[in-house]
Amino acid sequence: MYGVLLLVIYAILALMSFYGIRRFLKKESYTDYKVIVGSELAPGISVIAPAFNEGLTIISNVRSLLTFDYPKYEVIIINDGSTDDTLEKVIKEFSLVKVDFAYNIKIASKPIRGIYKSTDDAYAKLVIVDKENGKSKADATNAGINISSFPYFLCTDVDCILHEQTLQKLIRPIMEEENSRVIATGATLRMANSCEIDKGVIIKIKAPRPILARFQEMEYIRSFVLGKMGWSQVNCVPNVSGGLGMFDKEIAVKAGGYDPTSFGEDMELLMRMSRYVHDNKIKSAVRYIPVTLCWTEGPTSLKVFMRQRTRWGRGLVQLMVTHRKMFFNPKYGRIGMIVFPYNFFFELIAPLVEILGIIYYIIQAYLGLVNWPYAIILLIFIYTFAVMISTIAVLWDQLTTQYYKSWTDVARIALMAFIEMIIYHPLIVVFALRGYFFHLAGKKHTWGNMQRRGFKSSTANPTTAAT
Amino acid sequence: MWKDLIDLLFQAYEQFSLLPLFIEIALAFIFIAILSTLVAYSAILYKRYRAYIYDKRMAYISPKIEDMITDQVLLNPNLGMDIPLENIEFDEQTLSDKMYRKPFVRQMLIDTLISYRKNFRGEVGDLLRKLYIDMGLEKDSFGKMKTLRWERKIKAVVELTQMDISISDVTILPLTNSSNPALRAAARNAYIQLSKNEPFKFFDIATEPLLPWDQLEMFKIITTTKDIAIPNFSRWVSYSTNKSIVSFCLKLIAHYDQQSAIPAVMDLLANKDHYFRADAINCLGKLSAEVAEDKLVKIYNNQPLNCQIEILQALGRIASGKHLEFLKSEFLYSSNFDIRMNAARSIIKHNTQNSRLMVEELMEVTDDENQLIIKHCLNPLIKY
Repeated sequence: MYGVLLLVIYAILALMSFYGIRRFLKKESYTDYKVIVGSELAPGISVIAPAFNEGLTIISNVRSLLTFDYPKYEVIIINDGSTDDTLEKVIKEFSLVKVDFAYNIKIASKPIRGIYKSTDDAYAKLVIVDKENGKSKADATNAGINISSFPYFLCTDVDCILHEQTLQKLIRPIMEEENSRVIATGATLRMANSCEIDKGVIIKIKAPRPILARFQEMEYIRSFVLGKMGWSQVNCVPNVSGGLGMFDKEIAVKAGGYDPTSFGEDMELLMRMSRYVHDNKIKSAVRYIPVTLCWTEGPTSLKVFMRQRTRWGRGLVQLMVTHRKMFFNPKYGRIGMIVFPYNFFFELIAPLVEILGIIYYIIQAYLGLVNWPYAIILLIFIYTFAVMISTIAVLWDQLTTQYYKSWTDVARIALMAFIEMIIYHPLIVVFALRGYFFHLAGKKHTWGNMQRRGFKSSTANPTTAAT
Repeated sequence: MWKDLIDLLFQAYEQFSLLPLFIEIALAFIFIAILSTLVAYSAILYKRYRAYIYDKRMAYISPKIEDMITDQVLLNPNLGMDIPLENIEFDEQTLSDKMYRKPFVRQMLIDTLISYRKNFRGEVGDLLRKLYIDMGLEKDSFGKMKTLRWERKIKAVVELTQMDISISDVTILPLTNSSNPALRAAARNAYIQLSKNEPFKFFDIATEPLLPWDQLEMFKIITTTKDIAIPNFSRWVSYSTNKSIVSFCLKLIAHYDQQSAIPAVMDLLANKDHYFRADAINCLGKLSAEVAEDKLVKIYNNQPLNCQIEILQALGRIASGKHLEFLKSEFLYSSNFDIRMNAARSIIKHNTQNSRLMVEELMEVTDDENQLIIKHCLNPLIKY
């Protein structure tokens, strides 16, 4: 019954997402984004990207972030106490000098050691913040928010490769909402693994060759294009990814900024912002657009992947515990009545239900109480339905934009749907449970070193990624 | 054979109906899931195939269209000969080519003509327009106006506007107040571009909001369209009940430096909505409205933070020097960081002997944090 309900929810999301994608594509067909590029009415946006020991790739990463096609923005890179040569490299490359920079500490973060600006006018938009290591991306981003000058900020990872139109596309839902204040917008993320990249710019999009990254690409497509896009239609977006999200600074600051102690700081911030607007009776919305604007390195080793998913698992438990008062609380509207219960029943306890179900089945089988033909029919039902949902997600993605130029790339991704349940899904369940266990056991977790091989020459082939 | 098949299906149904309900449901869902997966795969293949065919057709037709436009318009021998436009004829045989009867090609032709017209004005631009009319493409665009699909209507409105084909007020005015935001915006933009007498007439009847995104495009159209009759926007500032229209007019007043609008804008300082007041203060600053300075300083203490910051910025823009002491006291005694930052910026913005002396004096008497604020504001490397 539980599984059926989950699959029915996915089917409804697929329909809502289809409606949203069609509407989005219709609008895109006549939108001229050049209008905002040359406009003095465009709102300013601060791009905030924390960096920790990114010496290998920092120069191309910063250059990539300086290529946005938008009239009014600044790029704030926060060197979060790197122990490598990250800071020295950017100082040299971008002709930086330390400046007397006054800022207001609206959100707590570790002390800032210095702020640098370029003497070269070509890099006038760049601000480098050198701060003590806060052991979390949240702490570094909070420092960036304090420094930022504009009413909106885009939060990303320094190693993410963003599309040059990212700012125009993400600000649009904010500027065209009629009756609500849009507090956050997000778009689809994809894997940069195997894409052809030159000087921090995507040249050719390819489906990842490493199997783990390919599974994640499939998962991201389903989660963003089908899931979040569907939720966006009913203003119930549960999360705006830490890799790419635009936020209303005033609300984010009033909500207290990112929580440095959280393992799922992106989801936690959105939950707190939603809580704040409901508490203060501000009519708000969170919007998603179905285009890919961000490419990130996906973990290709099982060890790194396990750490990532364990952390996400811990983040989810933390979130549920911290904001438990919102659970089925009508005061928080759809967030309290739909998003929170959905996260609880179908994200948090799903791995538990699955593992308990398997144990129950094993016991039943041992006792000879299983009706095998029926059991197999039910398994086939779950399997075929999961394949259907993933295939529909790929179709919706193809309807939006045909990112992959070759048929084989589409086939590579689409075929993941058939083996995902057997290989990838069990890993996610186990790692999530590991995260829950760590949370209950109070195990310490440190913000890992984001080791990367970097995007050498024109093809990305990272071995390790964000933890 | 048919009988056997029917018997088989009948037997299967009989067996199916004997199964427990949950298994029946599961089997039904399996059937739906398999079918849907197959349909999804077929749709992916079809979509990609269609895109492939479209690209191929484009590659074949696009150069032909461009060649035709080059021959008929750009290299037209009558261009520059002072021949009236209506007397310039195109090659009938070329225009009546069968290829140009296909809807796909006609749409491509419209799109190409629009793109050319964006780059060519004057006689060439007019000739492109004539080609659009002579080939009957205008009728295609008007045909789209009659459909119920809003995105088709928008396409039609954009095409007709780009080609400078007038649309009757009866058709376009109701659309400027459509409940569909996208259609409403397109119609409003078209009305401004096409209406020769009163391009801003719809401001009077607009009850639906003018969204910030739509303001971008409208602002560009108003400020870049040639020969547009710019009215005194204070008219709507005083009388419109549509807040977004008033807010937009304030931006236009500032852009066109309409000094005569200052009294109307000052009236807004008594408005209950503080976001509105902030817009008005911003406008007064951009107009360098010296007459408003005293009033701004007078109301300062009763304003919320956003309005106070706008007042400080406005004093910096007006920079008459009359209220330097006020800015100094805000800088020295305010506990709010943003107030001090904006007061410092405004003092520096005056850029007079007095203001420079004041900055020097402040550097000596104030605390470390305030000194840092002044250094920040003085640093040319820090833009924002």
